[in-house]
Amino acid sequence: MQQVGLLVGKDLRIEARSRQTIGLVVVLGVLIVVVLGLGLGTQQGGGVAATAVLWTAYLFSGVLCFEKTMGVERADAALAGLMMAPVDRSVIFVAKLVSNLALMALVSTVVTAAGVLFFSFDLSAAPGQFIGIMSLGLVGFAAIGTLFSAVVSSTRLQGGLLALTVFPLSLPLVISSTQLLLRIFRDGESAGGQALAVIIAFDVIFLVASWVLFEWVLEP
Amino acid sequence: MNAPAIPFSPPAILTADLPVEAVRLGLVIDDRAILRDIDLAIGRGEFVAVLGANGAGKSTLLKVIATLTKASRGELHLFGRTVTRESADLRARIGLVAHQSMLYRELTARENLRFFARLYGIARANDRVELLLDVIGLGNRGNDPIKSFSRGMVQRVAIARALLRDPELILADEPFDGLDAPSVATTQKLLEHLHQSGKTIVLVNHDISQSLELARRIIVLRSGSVLVDAAADKLNRASVLAEMGGM
Repeated sequence: MQQVGLLVGKDLRIEARSRQTIGLVVVLGVLIVVVLGLGLGTQQGGGVAATAVLWTAYLFSGVLCFEKTMGVERADAALAGLMMAPVDRSVIFVAKLVSNLALMALVSTVVTAAGVLFFSFDLSAAPGQFIGIMSLGLVGFAAIGTLFSAVVSSTRLQGGLLALTVFPLSLPLVISSTQLLLRIFRDGESAGGQALAVIIAFDVIFLVASWVLFEWVLEP
Repeated sequence: MNAPAIPFSPPAILTADLPVEAVRLGLVIDDRAILRDIDLAIGRGEFVAVLGANGAGKSTLLKVIATLTKASRGELHLFGRTVTRESADLRARIGLVAHQSMLYRELTARENLRFFARLYGIARANDRVELLLDVIGLGNRGNDPIKSFSRGMVQRVAIARALLRDPELILADEPFDGLDAPSVATTQKLLEHLHQSGKTIVLVNHDISQSLELARRIIVLRSGSVLVDAAADKLNRASVLAEMGGM
């Protein structure tokens, strides 16, 4: 835990100093909400459009966020320095995941606020359930993103490749959480059922799989 | 290909605590052999330079010895122990310097060194960092970010990072790359000082004359194979260049 704390602290310190990732990612997320909001019409609020637009913003912002945080390790081969340390590679995965989640939490807060305002999306009916479902979704998304950002960053095919791998894998999360939120906010039902089970199962499977596989995909 | 003109010394009889001992080491990536049947034994306190043309496998060999890349076949023993993926304690005895700094440019020199010192679990990390900053002559620039440093200053911090754990084996992968003349001289002095203090040094370099001057033993790689393994004073620039396939 001490090593995880050290690595996360380093990531957040670098981010706080450079503000390279968070600035770009927040702007991208808000832009997506605005552009899609203008295209779809802002009075579509409370339904499919708002949650789908929010997920679209999370996905694109997330991919950029994962690329940037792994890019810090690739620049000047700092990753080799980490790998020379007596640190298990799974510790590096957990630390990167926590750093990505911290940044995504900040981004999703801003993006969600923009979405709520733009789409007049009334969260007051179940704000806790909205936060819970989206948080569960983001954990699974960040697990995949952290794993594949390590894979993609060691290839020459950076850029779009991460999105191409992460977006299709994230579909179960997007579909399930959107269905769940629709049931809560449109139909007035409570959270639960198959959709929630899919999200939780997805999180567990991809957290464990990413944790195990990270050791094998991390190359200096 | 005829037998090499330069005397080839087979590896010494394997000894239990040699810093580096490779037996028929091979690495294949995408069906291409990067390293082929490398037999190598490096004793304590040796200063070995590994030379070769681009793509000969020099840096890859160093990565394998540093345990960063796993060999496809053969055996690698460090300090008498077989290398596995869980060789964290072996890595603690190795210091790696490369032409890339392995530092975070947004952090200061002091923050970088403190971060790695704590990650490496060094007792009295802050004292060790201050000592090394003084050794590399950057005590007064410790609070400046790495991105504000010249290439030579960055390389000195990179050497300090490699020395944090007081390693027995120092692997240097083209540490002079991109340095100006004064920085080359400073880095050379640091390596010589480390060698004199008993460290084992493996230097990957492309400057033949400099390697002949610094190292006591020269290994020439070509297409992933050891072509020459001889004492530096038995070689000259022209003969090494010929073996590298230059002229």
